[in-house]
This record gives sequence, structure tokens and C-alpha cells, in this order.
Amino acid sequence: MHFLHMSWLNFKGQRAAFNFEEFILLDTAYPFLTLVFYCVMAGFAYGTTDVTDWVIGNAFMLCTNTCLFSLGTCFVGERYYGRIRSIIVGKTSKFEIVLQKGFFAAVVSVVTTLVGFALGCLVFGIGLSKVPWGSLLLVLIIAMFAVMGLGMFLSVLGLVSHQIHMISNVMWYVLLIFTGTNFPISQLPESVQIISYLLPMTRSIAAARELVAGAKLSLVRGLLFGEVAVAFTYLVIAAVVIKYAEKIAIKNGTLELF
Amino acid sequence: MLMQIIKDTMFLQMKQSFVRPMFRFCLIANPIVNTIFLYEMYLQKGADTFLNYVVLGAGLMGIWSCICFSSIGDINRERYSGTLALIYVAPGGFGKIIFGKVLGNTMLSLLTFVISYITACVLSAFTWGEESSGIEKFLSTIIHIENIGYFIFASVMLILTFVLISICFAFILMLSRKTELYMNLLEIPLIFICGFTFPVEVLPQWIQNISNCLAPTWAVRMLRSSQMNWESFGILCIELLVLLLLTWVLYKWVDRRIRINATLEVS
Repeated sequence: MHFLHMSWLNFKGQRAAFNFEEFILLDTAYPFLTLVFYCVMAGFAYGTTDVTDWVIGNAFMLCTNTCLFSLGTCFVGERYYGRIRSIIVGKTSKFEIVLQKGFFAAVVSVVTTLVGFALGCLVFGIGLSKVPWGSLLLVLIIAMFAVMGLGMFLSVLGLVSHQIHMISNVMWYVLLIFTGTNFPISQLPESVQIISYLLPMTRSIAAARELVAGAKLSLVRGLLFGEVAVAFTYLVIAAVVIKYAEKIAIKNGTLELF
Repeated sequence: MLMQIIKDTMFLQMKQSFVRPMFRFCLIANPIVNTIFLYEMYLQKGADTFLNYVVLGAGLMGIWSCICFSSIGDINRERYSGTLALIYVAPGGFGKIIFGKVLGNTMLSLLTFVISYITACVLSAFTWGEESSGIEKFLSTIIHIENIGYFIFASVMLILTFVLISICFAFILMLSRKTELYMNLLEIPLIFICGFTFPVEVLPQWIQNISNCLAPTWAVRMLRSSQMNWESFGILCIELLVLLLLTWVLYKWVDRRIRINATLEVS
């Protein structure tokens, strides 16, 4: 309960400046417009009107907006509000703090992605009835978990770097280019394709596309296990690095510098 | 005096912008990653599409990002630094200072075209490798500009359009405490509606009607034409005049609101 209470407080704090319309604009309308933009571009580039694969890929990319930027920049916010020193010297695990900050952001991301996907299907004429919603939700939750792992890793970097906004933005582009969201991974040079499989989302997007194309959940099991493995890897790396980053942050004494 | 204020502000702004890591990201990294992305997207298309939507598309996206996160965001930065009220009442005039700042950012952001061009060259050299004449073939296709004089003229019109749009948004956002939210929301819609990365003709008619009301759409059309397009030029001039008038009216209205509300420094 304490975890949920703190998560809710953090979430309210992040969104307190916005009224309901602005919240909808930021978390649903704008991401949806981004999805439409990439799908229209793909339709033109590939000369097709069937943009199902791009609707799926870009809908999944919507969850990276919230997870990467909310989690990645969480310590930057604390620095601005003057709470970073208290967090560092406090007893609460930093890992728990990051998890608290990410919980409701992840819930909003799941809703945004599903709404974005449903609206995308309506706009681009994809039959909603053939979408296996249950399986898709499962894939989405796994994808979210994996991106949160990456987001946590980035948030840890926020303790030692002042350039976390830039790092988060670069990472967003890395995901856009390397996860096969808008063009096949096979189009990339072979040596670069390795990066794709080290990133979250690559397998989730492939699994979601297969599911919408009519495959059974059991057929994409391998991809989903792979995605869970990627998520755990990033979480473990984040957990290890957070201790190290904490020490560096204390040693450098530059936590409150902008 | 007028030119001195604009020139000094412009050079100061260029220096200040360049030291910010996020601006450097928008100026250098953004066109590189956008070019890679667009290059892969348009890999199957011909050379014309390649020049128009990869090199120009990535450059335009880069310019607009720089404008969104710098020219428009500068109001917020001045507010945080406590200098917004000072430059607002400076004897030189707030309008001239803002014009100098926006001009400085826009001039600097033209670098995105060069960066996206170099990135596209490097990518094509890698991709085409031995199977064709590689980079020479790419350069011979892409660097060919039919009418260099016209291209420079179209670029000047594009700069003018972006400068006016930025000033307009900067004035609007002066009244808001949520500049950061709105500047984030401005990036994709304009790229989408004004056809930076694909022709607006692929959009539904009702969106095309909105596109045609926006000056950047015509500025981009002019830039993509190989020779003087009088229709685009005429419409662009009318839209720029309307934009100029709108900016002036906005300035007067915002100025009045600022003095009544007295919340210029409230963040």
C-alpha cells in the first residue's frame, strides 16, 4: 500500500501543473498524432494503403515516450525541486524510488498504447474484430516491462550525468531506428542488426504483428521469453549500476549542480 | 542602432544556444538520426524522393526542432534566469531582441541541412558499396541544383517564414506558464501538416486545406521546386503578410495582458 500511495503521489506531482484537457493532449492526442504521422509516411514510402504493421509498431512505440522520459528523467526533476540530496542520504532504496515513479507512468502508457492502437485501426481501416486483444495486452505489458528496465537504467545515469534529457532523446531515436518499428530490421547492415536484438521492443513488436496476422500465442512464446530476458537484463544492470552511481554522485558532490 | 541591437543579440544568442547540450543535440544529432531514419524509410524510392524527403526532410525537421526547443523555449529560459522582465523593458525594445534571438537560432539551425546531406552521402556510400559507382553516383544525383539563384531565394523565404512563425509562438507562449508543455506539442504537428517528410497531397483533403493555410507548406513547396513557382511565391507572400499582421496584433495584445496580469516572471 505504501508503494502505491507513494507512486500515486509522484504521479500527481508530475501531472499537477496540467489540467485534464492538457493531460489528454499530452498523453493521448499528441502520441496519437505521432502515430498517424509515421503511418502516413510509411504509406507513402512503401506505396501501400495497408499500414497494419506500422500501426502496431508505432502504437508500441508510444509506450516508450512515457516510460523512457518519465523514468529516465526522474532524478532530474528531483534536482530541480531540491529533493535530490534528501533522496541520496535517505534510507529508502533508490531502486524503489524509481519503481514508484514508473508505476503509474507505465499504467498510463498501457492505456495510451491501447487507445492509440484502437484509434489507429479506425483511422487506417484495420478491422478491430480480428485483433486478439487479450494476447496483445499481454505482449504490451511485457514490452512495457522491458522498456521500464531500460528507463530505469537511464534514470540511474541521471545521478551522474546532467545530460539525461539528451541521453533519453538519443535512446528514443535508437529504439525508433533499430526495433523495426517502421522498416524491417533486415534492411540494416548485418553488424548493426545485433543492436536490435539487445533492445527492448524489437521482439514485442514482432510478436504483436504475428498475433494480429493470426498467429497463436504459443507461436510467439519464444519472442516473449526473449523480451522478458531483455527486461531482466536491464533491471539487473540498473540495480548494479545504481549502487555505483550513488557512490560517484556522493564522491563528486555535484548532485545539485545544473 | 536597430541593426546593432539585432546583430548583437543574434551573435550572443548563437553562442548561448550552442553551449546548451540539448540545442547541440537538435542541431547535430537530430539531423543525423532523422536522416538515417528517413534514408531507411525511402530506400526503395527514386533519387527525386531521396533529395526531397531524406535530405530536405531531415534538414527541415532539424530546423523546426531547433526552433521549437530554442527560439520558443528561450522565453522559458529567460524566465527561469530572471532576465525575462529585464529584456522586456530594455530600452532597445523587446521585439528587436526577440527578432535577433530567433534570427540567430534560425541561421544556426540551417546547419542541419549540411549535416543531413553529409549523413546521406555517408550512408549511401556504405549501402551502395561496390555494386555501383557508390558515392560519386549519389553526389552526382543529389547535389545537382537546377537554379542556384532560385534555391538561395527559396531558402531566404524559408528562413523568413520560420522566423515569423517562431516570433508568433514566442509571443503566445509568453503568457503561459506551461511553455515546456506547448513547445513539446508543437514539433510533430507542423512537420506532419506542412509536408516536411512527404507531400501534403497524400493527406486527406480537409487536412490539405489546413496545410495550405500555413506559410511553411508554401515555403517548403518553393524550396522543392527546381524553378520559380509564382503561385507558391504569391500565396507565401500573402500568408507571410497575414502572419506579420497577426504577430503585430499578438504583440500588442500580449503586451497589454502582461502589464495587466503582471505575471511575466511567474513560472
